[in-house]
Amino acid sequence: MRSYLELIRIDIKLALRQRIVIFFNYLFPLVFFFTFGTVLRAGLSLARVTQVITMSLVLGVLGSGLFGAGIRALQERELNILRRYKVTPITPGPLLVASMVTGWVIFMPYIILMLVLAHYVYHMPWPRHMISLLAFISVGLIAFRAIGLVIASVANTMQEGTILVQLLYLPMLFLSGATFPADMFPPSLTIVSNFIPATYYVRGIQAVINNQSLHPSYVGALLLTTLVGFIVGVKLFRWEKEEKIKGSAKLWVAGVLAPFLIMGIWQSFHPKVTPPMPGQGSRVTGDRSPSRQIANRARAGESEPNMASEQK
Amino acid sequence: MNLDTVISVESLHKSYAGLEAVKGIDFEVRRGEVFGLLGPNGAGKTSTVEILEGLRPRSSGVARVLGFDPDRQTQQLKDRIGVCLQATNLPAKIRVQEAMDLFAAFYTRSLSTEQLLDRLQLSDKRTAYYETLSGGQKQRLALALALVNDPQLLFLDEPTTGLDPQIRLEIHNLIEQMKSENRTVLLTTHYIEEAERLCDRVAIMDEGKIVAMGTPRELQKKSRAQSRIQIVVAQLFDGTALPPWPDAVSNTIEDDGRTLTVHSTRPARTLFEIMKWLDHQGMQLEDVHLKKPTLEDVFVELTGKHLRD
Repeated sequence: MRSYLELIRIDIKLALRQRIVIFFNYLFPLVFFFTFGTVLRAGLSLARVTQVITMSLVLGVLGSGLFGAGIRALQERELNILRRYKVTPITPGPLLVASMVTGWVIFMPYIILMLVLAHYVYHMPWPRHMISLLAFISVGLIAFRAIGLVIASVANTMQEGTILVQLLYLPMLFLSGATFPADMFPPSLTIVSNFIPATYYVRGIQAVINNQSLHPSYVGALLLTTLVGFIVGVKLFRWEKEEKIKGSAKLWVAGVLAPFLIMGIWQSFHPKVTPPMPGQGSRVTGDRSPSRQIANRARAGESEPNMASEQK
Repeated sequence: MNLDTVISVESLHKSYAGLEAVKGIDFEVRRGEVFGLLGPNGAGKTSTVEILEGLRPRSSGVARVLGFDPDRQTQQLKDRIGVCLQATNLPAKIRVQEAMDLFAAFYTRSLSTEQLLDRLQLSDKRTAYYETLSGGQKQRLALALALVNDPQLLFLDEPTTGLDPQIRLEIHNLIEQMKSENRTVLLTTHYIEEAERLCDRVAIMDEGKIVAMGTPRELQKKSRAQSRIQIVVAQLFDGTALPPWPDAVSNTIEDDGRTLTVHSTRPARTLFEIMKWLDHQGMQLEDVHLKKPTLEDVFVELTGKHLRD
């Protein structure tokens, strides 16, 4: 336990001493929060502010998980830092746990700050289920760090790791509904979106902010990803850059994403049971999602209900 | 295994993808001694040491370190030994004291990190970031980290490679301190003077095998190489005929005309005769050098290679 605590303490200190960590965990998502808040006029409705919060949050969480955990672990191996740890009695478990906990500790203040800003700047009512929201965000944050650590485990070089990270980062950012609203996607892209972990994260966050029930499969998939990611991360952990792993080992990334592959297949064949998006009856008839509501009302020249009436 | 035997190795083999790096070596290291593995790059030293540290599995053979099997009791072994590897690093922004505290937390027992930093003259660098330390300070910190669990056995893998001579001397002093504390040290090096100065016993490795083992003096005595006597006189030899001195194998007058080099199998006797001859010739002595065969000479004699090849 002493080694876990000391590793977490040092990891947090080291993270806070790096300007790049501060930039990507606080400034970068905050810039997006205000930019898109202004562009989408987030103060006009709950639907708009929800879209802005989700976008800023997913951007930060993906950055923390894939770049913060994954690329940093690769750097430590390439710089022979892990080699020094290898000669001590420490095992990969505490190192991976410390990375996950550090990501959570560093990013949580941003989440609180963003909710406070959304409330005071864009007049978003406090979510009724604040604890559920923070818990769900935390589960997702740790799950994406686990994915990042698995990427670090299967990538032999920094170049390979960067490619793998980008292959996951960009689809998760653009096809999950975090940046472009998912209900604007054509049916084919919706099917692709159903296979992306971040999609369920986006849907879950939007559901809780809109005081709707959180589908248990979202939480289950993220928790399962964390567990599988941790086990695979420990199993494939490499201390030295000279220890290479076979190309086929990269399939373990698919193993970690398996819960979402299963959910994607399930949802593709059972579209009617797709859990509802916030403000939406179902994904099949979905014309009442926050973004679609904004678009439809704009087309019809209708005014949007204000935050208070939406909360009722 | 004798109670005084800290490391015991029998018929140790290590292969990497068909390439045999260690080809069946045997040796023992006794409690309190500094044992050197000497050899050029690629001789199999690092593979041997990494097997004993529990970092790599052996292909075959027997190895016991502090009574543990490095392949099977890896964690227990790592908890009891201190290791200073070549080519390692720490995070750039970690402070010296933080690094010490972090590594102390990895072990079941640890020394006072403050006292260790004092001993290794790093107290004034306690709050310095790792990235700001000089090469010598980084190496002293590496030694401090290797000592943090108060190990009775230390593995030092080429601890002075790449350091300038003054820092190398500092590290030698620290290793001598460890020796005086009765710690057992297994040292790998390709610096002859390091092995000669620090090691109680040396095993010379080449191409995965131990080609000779013993104290540096024993190895030098076994050598057929001759001592070299070098004498500088005030006057020029200027065509003076040199007599056949006893036990001298060869003699040469160097290009400056004042330096005489003689190779001898019994240097004391030869030197005495040369002195008598110089006195008889009325020549004024300016300088005398006697160089015994070094471990490098022994190594060259055994392998036909130089250590830095």
